[in-house]
Amino acid sequence: MNLIAKTSSRRIPIGLILAGLALLIVSIGLTFQTGTAAAQSPLHPTFPFLDQEGENVLASGRPVSTMQTCGQCHDTAFIASHSFHADAGYTGMTTPGDTSTGRPWDTSEGLYGKWNPITYRLLSPAGDEDPDLTARTWLQTIGLRHTGGGPAEELGVEMNCFLCHLSNPDNEARTAALQQGDYVWANTATLLSSGIVTEQAGEYLWNQDAFDEAGDLLPAFLSIQDPDNQNCGQCHGTVHDEPQPLVLTGCEQTGWETTTTGMVFSAQRISDSGMNLDNKAALTRSWDVHMERLVECTDCHFSLNNPVYVQGSGVDSLDNLEFDPRRLEIGEYLYRPVHEFARGQSAQSSLAPEFRDSLRRCESCHNTEATHDWLPYASQHLDAIHCETCHIPAMYSPAIQQVDWTVVELDAFARTTCRGIEGETGTIADMVTGFSPALLLRENLDGSIKLAPYNLISAWYWVAGDPGRPVSQELLAEAFLQGDGYHADVIALLDGNNDGVLSSEELALDTEEKAAAIAARLSALGLVNPRIQAEIQPYSINHNVAGSEWALRDCTTCHTEDSRLTADVQLAAYVPGGVLPEFLPGNNALTNGELLVDETGALVFQSDLSEEGVYIFGHNNVGWIDWLGGLMVLGVLAGVTVHGGLRAWTARRRSKHETRIEKIYMYSFYERVWHWLQTLTILILAFTGLVIHKPESFGIFNFNGVVLVHNIMAALLVANAALALFHNLVSGDIKRFLPEPRGFFNQSFEQARYYISGIFKGEPHPFERTRQSRLNPLQKVTYFGILNVLLPLQVITGILMWGVQRWPQVAGTLGGLPFLAPFHTLISWSFVAFIIAHVYLTTTGHTPITGIKSMIVGWDEVEVHPSETETTEEN
Amino acid sequence: MENKKPLWIAVVGLTLALVFIPLAIFLPRENEQTIDPWANVPERSPQTDHTYLMSEPFEDGYAVTRACLECHPNAAKEMMATVHWTWESKPYDLPGRDEPVTVGKKNQINNFCIGIQGNWQKCVSCHAGYGWEDETFFETATEENVDCLVCHAGVGTYAKGDYALPLEGIDLLAAAQSVGTPTRQNCGSCHFNGGGGNAVKHGDLDESLYWPSASIDVHMGEHNFQCIDCHQTTDHNIKGRSISVSLDDENQVYCTDCHGDDLHEDQRLNAHLDTVACQTCHIPYYGLEDATKMVWNWEEAGQDIGDDPHTYLKIKGSFVYSGDVQPQYFWYNGVADRYLLGDPLAEQGPTAINYPQGSITDPAAKIMPFKVHEARQIYDTINNYLIQPKTVGEGGYWTEFDWQLAAELGSEITGLPFSGTYGFTDTIMFWPTTHMVQPISQALQCTDCHSPEGRLDWAALGYPGDPIEWGSRFDHQD
Repeated sequence: MNLIAKTSSRRIPIGLILAGLALLIVSIGLTFQTGTAAAQSPLHPTFPFLDQEGENVLASGRPVSTMQTCGQCHDTAFIASHSFHADAGYTGMTTPGDTSTGRPWDTSEGLYGKWNPITYRLLSPAGDEDPDLTARTWLQTIGLRHTGGGPAEELGVEMNCFLCHLSNPDNEARTAALQQGDYVWANTATLLSSGIVTEQAGEYLWNQDAFDEAGDLLPAFLSIQDPDNQNCGQCHGTVHDEPQPLVLTGCEQTGWETTTTGMVFSAQRISDSGMNLDNKAALTRSWDVHMERLVECTDCHFSLNNPVYVQGSGVDSLDNLEFDPRRLEIGEYLYRPVHEFARGQSAQSSLAPEFRDSLRRCESCHNTEATHDWLPYASQHLDAIHCETCHIPAMYSPAIQQVDWTVVELDAFARTTCRGIEGETGTIADMVTGFSPALLLRENLDGSIKLAPYNLISAWYWVAGDPGRPVSQELLAEAFLQGDGYHADVIALLDGNNDGVLSSEELALDTEEKAAAIAARLSALGLVNPRIQAEIQPYSINHNVAGSEWALRDCTTCHTEDSRLTADVQLAAYVPGGVLPEFLPGNNALTNGELLVDETGALVFQSDLSEEGVYIFGHNNVGWIDWLGGLMVLGVLAGVTVHGGLRAWTARRRSKHETRIEKIYMYSFYERVWHWLQTLTILILAFTGLVIHKPESFGIFNFNGVVLVHNIMAALLVANAALALFHNLVSGDIKRFLPEPRGFFNQSFEQARYYISGIFKGEPHPFERTRQSRLNPLQKVTYFGILNVLLPLQVITGILMWGVQRWPQVAGTLGGLPFLAPFHTLISWSFVAFIIAHVYLTTTGHTPITGIKSMIVGWDEVEVHPSETETTEEN
Repeated sequence: MENKKPLWIAVVGLTLALVFIPLAIFLPRENEQTIDPWANVPERSPQTDHTYLMSEPFEDGYAVTRACLECHPNAAKEMMATVHWTWESKPYDLPGRDEPVTVGKKNQINNFCIGIQGNWQKCVSCHAGYGWEDETFFETATEENVDCLVCHAGVGTYAKGDYALPLEGIDLLAAAQSVGTPTRQNCGSCHFNGGGGNAVKHGDLDESLYWPSASIDVHMGEHNFQCIDCHQTTDHNIKGRSISVSLDDENQVYCTDCHGDDLHEDQRLNAHLDTVACQTCHIPYYGLEDATKMVWNWEEAGQDIGDDPHTYLKIKGSFVYSGDVQPQYFWYNGVADRYLLGDPLAEQGPTAINYPQGSITDPAAKIMPFKVHEARQIYDTINNYLIQPKTVGEGGYWTEFDWQLAAELGSEITGLPFSGTYGFTDTIMFWPTTHMVQPISQALQCTDCHSPEGRLDWAALGYPGDPIEWGSRFDHQD
């Protein structure tokens, strides 16, 4: 039965109305299809494959030379000499120990010469006796992740164009060829999956059918393309762009970046993965939002002279240019494409420092201001925190945490543990829990210092000799292993439960005695002064970005006591040999914090950002302020309680003295409204301030809402205070608040004496209250202080804190938030103390509620002193 | 002067006002940012218990209807004005045709059992009336012929058979006592079983929707929607439209009836809305739980090779069922073309029964997911048009297995001449994928379309290439 194909491309409507359109569609479709047939790049011409002599390989049968073949059109010598991927540190090799890491055995900043405890094998510095790796063996091990060229050129491994520019390179065959030492054929082996060449028993045969009569490759076999994510992923990490679920099991080797950071390069939803991942169903975000949005590796890590991306000179420095249209012609670029790729400032890669930060940053593409308008203190946040800190909230694939080469497992490799996973079976049964990256301050090239996410990998290893060298894997195996198992002496040393088997937990030099015993074994193998060294390498985490919905955006994540920003990070479950690791020098991470061994023996990095002057609202409470303020409030509370108790007690013991009481209109309407408005705003301010100060204790409140209420109330308070000041100045009532210098001390003393003793004896108030003179001397001085000192200070500090996001430099000159915020808190405590005393003292009137009532109704009942009343009354 | 008593109240009032008015003004209101999708979901009215209103046993369906009409005198008249009764559209001006045409189950053919004319005995078992036996039905039918029970009887109390009459043995009294607003079963008994069985026709409507999980249908599974919550009804006229039986989108149900136009938080997604129908991303697959019929080949009917309802039936031919099917995508502006009886076959390729209208240049058209059903059915090789054969009943193909006879009998009923020679030809029919809206976590992502392996065929849709790189259809217009 001849039914139509299911792909809609072939189904061309014949409807009358659509006939014309259909024709159009057909024609476009056909054009399109010829463009996207088997060949990835429809423009790339076919070409002959040449060997190193420039002869067609079909004739010579020799391995292909990429330099010759691609060099027919491209300046391959230029390309190979402008590529840090090829160079790998080769041209920058220096005397051992003279590199950024300070390791005495490192000879470069790249893969070729910079040792890494994860791969462990050492390209021994020239002149070392009994080298671990030579240039040749380096290629068979660490160099498997190298593109060829550079240090490999001498061994016949040219820079491997195919690896990155074919849609289906055979990396497996290439690495197999390298491992077998079949260097000259390694690049040819990359073509095995393409059908251009076949291999039988180590013999490579060029497939004559893949070439035309002239010896040019047939178009059907041409799959040259821009490097896609899969090309990069061959060496850099797990790239998954298939529809089927991504499955990563256990703490396994999943590609370099994935193993070291947990980064997975996939557009797939995490919930759609096949991983045994905790709470997976809820993780409906993609692994990486940029991959999801079809941003490819090369879109950001572009060739530095690619005219599509390069802005051109002058744009950065000239005020009059936003865009420089002068750029390389596409042909010029294709002839000499610089193979230095835009790169960031990752802590772990010290190679090619001259190209650091050539990458576009988040801000280059994203309008961070517009998208963070919801965020209070947005510019402060953006100045203090890298985008990744909030937008890479968690990693959902395990990453290495600890590499312990002080012991070896039965396969002669280190005991390696990952973070973000529970269980050590190395199978799907291990539960991936994911982890929150460590946050360290990153020192950027532009001088800014911001928090950025890292994975901290700690490594312990034996070093021997002088200058020191890592003890070779071979000798480690010799010290630990015998036959198929561990050496009997090692078992005797480490087998804690004496069951004759070393469990994974027992395989650890967790005491100095064990370390010493192993050191002795190593010495016995001829090693001089074997000792344990340890280091921490921070690995920058820049990928696996999440969109806004999944980013950290809850204020209380950071602005609380247990702030995410300073969360402890476990570095190791145990400390081999008791040797504390040190952060490897030469990277951009400031090691703001200290290392602690907790009660379980685990090594923990405790971040302390305040050492670096980072002040986190809600986290960095200046302890003594709260103590002092609390004491002040408690003191006042205790004072008024004792005082009030005494008053009540003495009042019962004596008859009430007879004083004449008179009602007078004490407070005008405006004054009363002013007072209660002030009361209400101050109470709300105090409460909301408390919530803002200790948000973690008031989880039910919406932090942003509380801040808004606080700000509105503050504005009201300031307006109310300003109007009152105006009123009092204009009306002259201000005098009531001004302490009179004359007799002030005597009068104050008299008032104080009254509060201390007279009040208990039922004596009358020393000063009569009238509308004109309603404040006693102590009140005057108190209010004078509050209104002229505390209130303005509180208002000014408050406005400055609010204004930090508007005029940061103003607040900056006054100490910035680290000073203003605690100061504001201290004054708040004073206000609270004042309110308590103030409310209490209102009860000292004729009856306890007289004062409060008078402030509501305006009419006060005041004592009339006999000597003076007559005149008043007569008037 | 002293006794201005209310003044203190003014003090308190003014103070409170001064504090709370600014707060009320400045504090953000949370519920004003988006349209509340629940606002348009009807509140279900309490049901009147009919148990004691219906007491006498009913002798037949007509008697039940008479009883209904006693209290609901307008119900039948309203119902008879709707397509659920007429099975035919209003006259419609179809481009390229001289006269307005009506289409519907009543008079046109489809890709499944082909057509009902002459086959009323079986095909009208889903008609909401009683006793449709021949072409004279609508001339003689009265209000008593309306079948109230099929839409209102309680779950499990009612079923219909030949000539749309209640099945033998149905307790009509129990059914009448159970009436209420239509349930999923009332609608589903026909709409989930169109084409002669569960999941045959639509692909996005099948019995899995009786009790779907949220991952099959977020509205019905997670939010417990009934059909009529979206297909809201006025005077028995039920909202909703499908180009399987209609031509246009009048009275259509839209996602935006309840959901805001720009409801995605992500601007990039909102930028799609002028070009991509909601269903395209939110119904990534159909036939999720029950496989649906994708191919029906009548040509292979008539063989005694063993019946299996999902692969082969002697009376119907061979089938292909598929589950978890990825829809096909076409421009669609709400209108469909229609193959009418007597139309010539397509000159090339399969004949489309109802090709969705719209193109990349039609601003009203959006990319919409469809189930495309393929069939091979009988046609007149001389006259070059499709035949509506008689299949059911006396002389029909299902009893005689004689296409010649079936074609002749069909011709007598439809009036469409039959030349005497027949063959089989490919036809396709488009079924909009619009139910089984799945949770956001299952919606399509960028890469589902915008990647080399993406599911949209840009060239077929008229794009020069992926619009993520080439720009949208609106980019180049000015």
